Amino acid sequence: MKARTILPVVAALVVFVVAWQLAVVLGGLQKSILPPPLLVAERFVEAFADGTIQPHLATTLQEIAVGLTVGAVLGLLAGYVMARSPLAERLLSPYIVAAQAVPILALAPLLAIWFGPGLLSKVVICALIVFFPVAVSTMVGIRTVDPRLLELGRSLRATPRQRLWTIEVPAALPSIFGGLRVGVTLAVIGAIVGEWAGASRGLGVLINLARGSLFDIPLMFATLLTIALVGIALYLVVVLVERRLVGAR
Amino acid sequence: MSGTIELRDVAHAFRARNGEPLQALDGVDLTVPGGGIVALIGPNGSGKSTLLRVAAGLLAPARGEILLDGARVTGPDPRIGLVFQEPRLLPWRSAADNITYPLELAGWPRERRDQRLGELLELVGLDTDATGARPAELSGGQQQRAALARSLALQPDVLLLDEPFSALDALTRERFDLELLSLWERTAPTIVLVTHSIPEAIVVADRVVVLTARPGRVAADIPVDLPRPRSLASMDEAAVSRTARLIRSHLGEETEASNAEPRPRLAAAS
Repeated sequence: MKARTILPVVAALVVFVVAWQLAVVLGGLQKSILPPPLLVAERFVEAFADGTIQPHLATTLQEIAVGLTVGAVLGLLAGYVMARSPLAERLLSPYIVAAQAVPILALAPLLAIWFGPGLLSKVVICALIVFFPVAVSTMVGIRTVDPRLLELGRSLRATPRQRLWTIEVPAALPSIFGGLRVGVTLAVIGAIVGEWAGASRGLGVLINLARGSLFDIPLMFATLLTIALVGIALYLVVVLVERRLVGAR
Repeated sequence: MSGTIELRDVAHAFRARNGEPLQALDGVDLTVPGGGIVALIGPNGSGKSTLLRVAAGLLAPARGEILLDGARVTGPDPRIGLVFQEPRLLPWRSAADNITYPLELAGWPRERRDQRLGELLELVGLDTDATGARPAELSGGQQQRAALARSLALQPDVLLLDEPFSALDALTRERFDLELLSLWERTAPTIVLVTHSIPEAIVVADRVVVLTARPGRVAADIPVDLPRPRSLASMDEAAVSRTARLIRSHLGEETEASNAEPRPRLAAAS
């Protein structure tokens, strides 16, 4: 990457850290309320060095990966079906909207009871909130495919499968990726919320441990930082895949 | 000669926004012999594009039938190539992949596609270095050349063109008309060209078929008695203006076509 693209990012980070430090110093805040950035950085490095975070990170990443995949695949399928069939949209959309409108925080304890404290309940929660943006963006993307291109396909006797892969999917990709960008960040939220509702391992569990029995506020912040970095990394992966697939149009 | 296309008593209606049926075509009879060139001209709303879509098998007519070499056309047919008003290229594909798209859909292996691509580029005069570019990076003329190459990919017997050069500037358009003719001399497909332009119709066609305003019917079928090969310089001006006047008399004074086009450029070109 070029210095011109990196520099503003670094500058913004410096501003953020300086503001954080100033808030601690000028506000006279105790480190149990807001630990200074250096302390958090030290704890972050230490927690990785002594292996505190890794097992939790691995668990959360697994939940995100499976939940995101399940939610995105179901969202793609439902979005396509709803785009092509007005009846399916009328039948499905009330439930989809209702599932999205009920706060996931309120649903999570119920889902934890139904699906247990293991991987399954987190996957269900993740998939549930990832599903909505992916389904809607797929539906919109497929529905707004230029009808003139579809007519071209028809004039060249494209089969339904050829139409899907050579016209509809490429045309809808920018919209679908818009949904995936939202979905990937929601997947992180879903995993953490799911862990809060009942789990023995995961970054959400570690936050609770750090705040409660350990009363290690710097560790709590280090965990928050880890979660934020996971979100950023996953988002970047989606952006890179998007650049590769959508490219320059 | 193969490629004879016949329209028999073709009628078609659309449902307008208010639910009323809108008669676009009403009893069109037209035969274009194999290797012949017919220009379809008519005011806006005369159903020219509808007629072309019916002929291409994209629209099933409400009444009547289309015959290609005596056999009924019931849907899109590989023997019929279609060029739309706009290039209609897939924006995410390179020019080359757009041109060979019909071959890909037809299941041609890559080697044969590449080989055919070379022939097509030569045929439509598209630079080889333009083939890797996305449509957005091409000029309007290059885009329409690519679209033309795509329509020729499967070596159709019939080429249907729906105002293919109307988005190009007047000079480019004149050149394209002549290139279309030289392409026809080499590959000899039957050509049906929908146009708004009387000079374009006269330069290109054996016959100019004038449609009436909605619902479209054949108002006149005017032969263009000019020798081939034609070029802008060698055309008999008297014959050109006589034919143009005849076409215009059938179009009527109030129509879009006669207003939109100035005097025939050919007659004024001397």
